[in-house]
Amino acid sequence: MKLPAVRWIGYPAAVLVVGATIALLKLFRQLTVSSVALLLLLTVFLCASVWQSGPGVLAAVLATLGFNFFFLPPLYTFTIADPRNVAALFVFLVSALLIGRLSALSRHRLELIGAERRDLLSLTQLSQGFLADTNRESLIGVAADRLRQALQCREVAILLADDTGELARRAETPGMVLREDLADLAYRQGNSAAYPSELGGTDIYLPIPIGLQRAGVLVARGLLSSERMAEACALLLGLAVERERFLGLARAAAETSTSEQMKSTLLAQLAHDLKTPVAAARGAIENWEKESGASEGSRLAGGQLDALTRRIGELMDVVRLDSGATRPRPERVSCAAIVEAALARFGDALAQHSLFLEPPPTDLAVEVDPSQLTEALGHGLENAARYSPAGSTIRVSVAEDGKNVLFHVSDEGGGVPASERDRVFERFVRLPGSERVPGSGLGLAIARSLVELNGGRLRLGDAPSGGALFEIAIPRAAR
Amino acid sequence: MSRVLLADDEPAIRKVVRDALEREGHEVVTAVDGQEALERFEESRFDLVVTDLAMPRLGGLELVQEIRRLSPVPVLVLTVRNEEREKVHLLDAGADDYVTKPFGIAELVARARALLRRADSAQGHPGEARWGDIAVDSAARSVLKAGKPVHLTPIEFQILTTLLKKPGAVWTHRQLMAEVWGTTAGVTNDTLRVHMGSLRRKLEDDPNRPRWFRTEPWVGYRFSPEP
Repeated sequence: MKLPAVRWIGYPAAVLVVGATIALLKLFRQLTVSSVALLLLLTVFLCASVWQSGPGVLAAVLATLGFNFFFLPPLYTFTIADPRNVAALFVFLVSALLIGRLSALSRHRLELIGAERRDLLSLTQLSQGFLADTNRESLIGVAADRLRQALQCREVAILLADDTGELARRAETPGMVLREDLADLAYRQGNSAAYPSELGGTDIYLPIPIGLQRAGVLVARGLLSSERMAEACALLLGLAVERERFLGLARAAAETSTSEQMKSTLLAQLAHDLKTPVAAARGAIENWEKESGASEGSRLAGGQLDALTRRIGELMDVVRLDSGATRPRPERVSCAAIVEAALARFGDALAQHSLFLEPPPTDLAVEVDPSQLTEALGHGLENAARYSPAGSTIRVSVAEDGKNVLFHVSDEGGGVPASERDRVFERFVRLPGSERVPGSGLGLAIARSLVELNGGRLRLGDAPSGGALFEIAIPRAAR
Repeated sequence: MSRVLLADDEPAIRKVVRDALEREGHEVVTAVDGQEALERFEESRFDLVVTDLAMPRLGGLELVQEIRRLSPVPVLVLTVRNEEREKVHLLDAGADDYVTKPFGIAELVARARALLRRADSAQGHPGEARWGDIAVDSAARSVLKAGKPVHLTPIEFQILTTLLKKPGAVWTHRQLMAEVWGTTAGVTNDTLRVHMGSLRRKLEDDPNRPRWFRTEPWVGYRFSPEP
């Protein structure tokens, strides 16, 4: 059954149908009065279910009058001879009205269910469409078209907020006019606005929700679907926009990690290419010394090559740090293990000094890249050894300070003047008077970068012993 | 005379290492990558394999794994600085030792010598050991330092005798735990470090700068009787 395009047609139709039924029934004289009544009720039911309430009521009244006039004696008058028939006629009227009402109601419900089914179907298609689009630009463009179909409206616009919270039209039906003030209100306050449209149907401004926030505004003009349907569409659009944002983030993350991996591979290759010839030359000199005995020249060459190797190592460290290829791989390690590792790796530099180590508290731990922090602390040890006289004491200690762990290396050298303590962390900066001490001026800069990369601070201060204090502060790991 | 297989893709390094090993009196066969090394290895018998870590075709780690399937021959790997995870993988895969680039030739030759000697003396008297001013008799559970008896806890004694099994070799934390406790479950690197520390206090002259019981940072420990 199809909904008639024009509703008033139901009234003349009901008159015709009831009239025709009565004429037809008149032809069959042998029918009893009660059969006629039942057949007339059936007609009322049909009229009500096809043309709904108004025509249904009209059919009920006409059928009652017709029943009285044509079938109840005395015929062709509206008078009723038998008082029992008055009651029968009354029952007939009430039944006709009730049947008409009920069948109209069920018809209406059926239509509602049909409409909801159509809405659900379009929502499903819409969400499938959104899921299929994986590129933001095309997603929004196509979404406007899909929404126009799903919402049965004339025009659709999608406005999305940028990073600064400004709304921008990202897609719209060409030539569409919309009220910026209502869109702004919907975005800022989250209030939707709906009013009758000059295009027919409704104009509606709906916030596009993302969780508790709003991504932008959906505008639909000449909307025929329900507001509920429009809200559901806005919700779907929000999910699609959010999904697109996450896909973008995932892509960006994948690209960064690929480029970082490439950088670190290239740098490893570069380091290898720089170090290999030096290592080969160093080995050749050692072999030569073994065969022909060491000379002043061979020792000089060997020493210079060792220095060159160290420079290359430091320069590569700096390049790696600058290019972001030095990624910390943090794990929980005890502070005692870090001190032990630093002393094992850089202890040789301390051969001319006496070492005083305060045993670190056993349960103190930090969450860092072990190699990187070892390296940073090692630079502190090397610096202390370089800038304090041979035979003096270098003190290493670990202490807890609030939320931090402090690694200290203090020496008995001349210390660093307070005015220079920031400058020495700059690259290639060496203090006046230290020209005789070997070094590139990169060690402290590298150490600071490594410490900061691991969430800590590095500073220089005064040691109680009078020399320099090298202090690394790292957030303490939970016990 | 020992036969050494040397794999490195750098011709200059190959030449230098080969010269040094030949001067030590070894016969050296070279290979330009892991694949060639594996082919040479399958052709004849070697007493030691020295291999670079990063090589085309077949890398050092894969070469170690392949060789370990075939033979218990000692393997020495040339590694790079700060790649502790790589070193642990190597050792767990069966490499016996590594030297870190840039290495001195003297250091490399000394490590090679230690590995060859260990392979030789595997049938000697593992129960007794003497170095520096220390004498250990495992059977009698006696440890003397400068002639005076030293009391070790059972764990310390276990760590000591484990390390003595392979003088000069690196033990990863996991390998030591498995050997000493019989399991790595419930034992942390810190537990090991604490026992190691007290062993050093009893046997080293300066426990903060150990001579015999060295720390290999973030890898494990090494017993080196020749400082």
